[in-house]
Amino acid sequence: MNRLTMPWDVMQFELRRSFTMGRIAMWFALVAFPVAIIATMRGIALASSANKFDPAEFIEPFGFTLYFLVPEVTCLLGLLLWATPAISTEIEGQTWVYLALRRSGRRMVLFGKYLTAVVWTLSASLVSTAVCVWLIGTDVMLRMWCVMSVLAVLSCLAHAAIFLLIGVLFYRRTMVSAVLYTMIVEYGLSFVPALVNKFTINYRLRGLLANWMGWENVRSNAENIFGSEPVSTHLMALSALTIIALGFALYRVEYAEYPTQQEG
Amino acid sequence: MIELNHVSKMYGNVVGVNDLTLRIPRGAYGLIGPNGSGKTTLINLLIGHFRPTLGSLQVLGTTPTSDRRLLRRIGLCPASDVLYPNVSALEWVRYQVRLHGISRRECKSLAEEALETVGMTSAMHRPMGTYSLGMRQRTKIAQAIAHQPELLILDEPYNGLDPVGRNDMTQLLKQWTRSGRGLIFASHVLQEIESVTASFLLLHGGRILASGTAQEIESILTDTPQEVFIKGRDAAKLIHRLADVDWVDALQLNHGKNELRVSLREPAEFYGRIASWIRDDNLAIDQLQTPDGNIEAVFESILRRHRGETS
Repeated sequence: MNRLTMPWDVMQFELRRSFTMGRIAMWFALVAFPVAIIATMRGIALASSANKFDPAEFIEPFGFTLYFLVPEVTCLLGLLLWATPAISTEIEGQTWVYLALRRSGRRMVLFGKYLTAVVWTLSASLVSTAVCVWLIGTDVMLRMWCVMSVLAVLSCLAHAAIFLLIGVLFYRRTMVSAVLYTMIVEYGLSFVPALVNKFTINYRLRGLLANWMGWENVRSNAENIFGSEPVSTHLMALSALTIIALGFALYRVEYAEYPTQQEG
Repeated sequence: MIELNHVSKMYGNVVGVNDLTLRIPRGAYGLIGPNGSGKTTLINLLIGHFRPTLGSLQVLGTTPTSDRRLLRRIGLCPASDVLYPNVSALEWVRYQVRLHGISRRECKSLAEEALETVGMTSAMHRPMGTYSLGMRQRTKIAQAIAHQPELLILDEPYNGLDPVGRNDMTQLLKQWTRSGRGLIFASHVLQEIESVTASFLLLHGGRILASGTAQEIESILTDTPQEVFIKGRDAAKLIHRLADVDWVDALQLNHGKNELRVSLREPAEFYGRIASWIRDDNLAIDQLQTPDGNIEAVFESILRRHRGETS
């Protein structure tokens, strides 16, 4: 029980020490960014259709945009800031040695930082999703909010694990490596109509979006992008990716020899 | 307490420590060496942060890299500073203790006790960003002793401490040593270590040059070629004495003729005779400066001995 609550204590400490004006401003920016885009889109739609604006007619464009803005962009940006530099900031701040010296330091700290990244990013994503769905104002508002929220949860859990692994493996060029991964794999390969896109997180999230929103036409017209697999396959693939990435990161950090300071 | 068996650590092509073989029983030891001598590498090996490239080591009867439970028995105060500006000392020390798997309630009392020991009770609720260097140093010591380890390893613990702080630290370390617990104390200032312990390990270029008590090291030094400075109005008058003996390699008098540099092959002979020469010739000599306390000179002397330049 004592060790089980340790990641929670790490998370508390991490959130406490990161409670700075910069981080709070970033949180609000992540919330505001999708809201501003959706509000602009709604304004344009309202202006173009005069008084006959029916949100139900725009459900798919609004839905895709919201999906792209929150589970794909907001979540990834937040996690890039929190999960990726989990190790490199400690190494650069020369505080890694203090953590590595603790009996449960390495794994618990990494897992605690993973939870912190997920909680911080998810809180911004969920608030943003709620405001955006309310702005769109369709009759399927509740369903869209539920779907987008679950997708944000899955996106945060999976992407945080991947970014954490990148941070553990490439502690010197962490951000560059993570951005390259995001651009090439998640925004590039996930759209490639080949077997390789099935190993990306965004492909699985898009498949779940189409499934849960019941957009069968969209799926049949763009099967390479949205997939044709059932929900269970997508969930299993996401779970496997998350567990493998997180497990490997936790294994690697236990045996890694990171530099501590200038040699003396 | 510590056993090293032909331990080497390489960073690519760079040697961190080179073929260290050592066995030291429980006690207090000063690890002394200039910057880049391998002190921090050795410490990182002792705490299991690094694996030896070659050889094996045991600390408190356990291999550090294979048994993480050992870390509960070791306290380390690294030389690097702590950079958590908006966290208080109490929060940080409690967090560090918690990472050992100690219960939350116990963590708080252990952290408070350790901070009290280092005299940080009144400031322990303040953010660490408001601390002076000396206060941060005390906080670092607190995190090292808070979980009550058997072996305490300190890397340059006097950094940033004022004279009062240095005295307090010396008393704390003496008390620690008296309690029968182990202490490894790395520094490049001989006097700092000497105030706490009489046992030394001299490290240079990743190798142990010498080990033993201060007296033993002094004895090595007296048998090792070294340079001595004689300062005073009559320093030049010693030249005729020193020129006649075969254990002096070189003599150099400065322009003011009040400082004589003597390169000695057999310092013991010099120390045996210099006092009687000064007395017999009734010379005014103000100062005799030996390499003691000057770490670079000590290492230079011992290195010359290692290179076989001594007779």
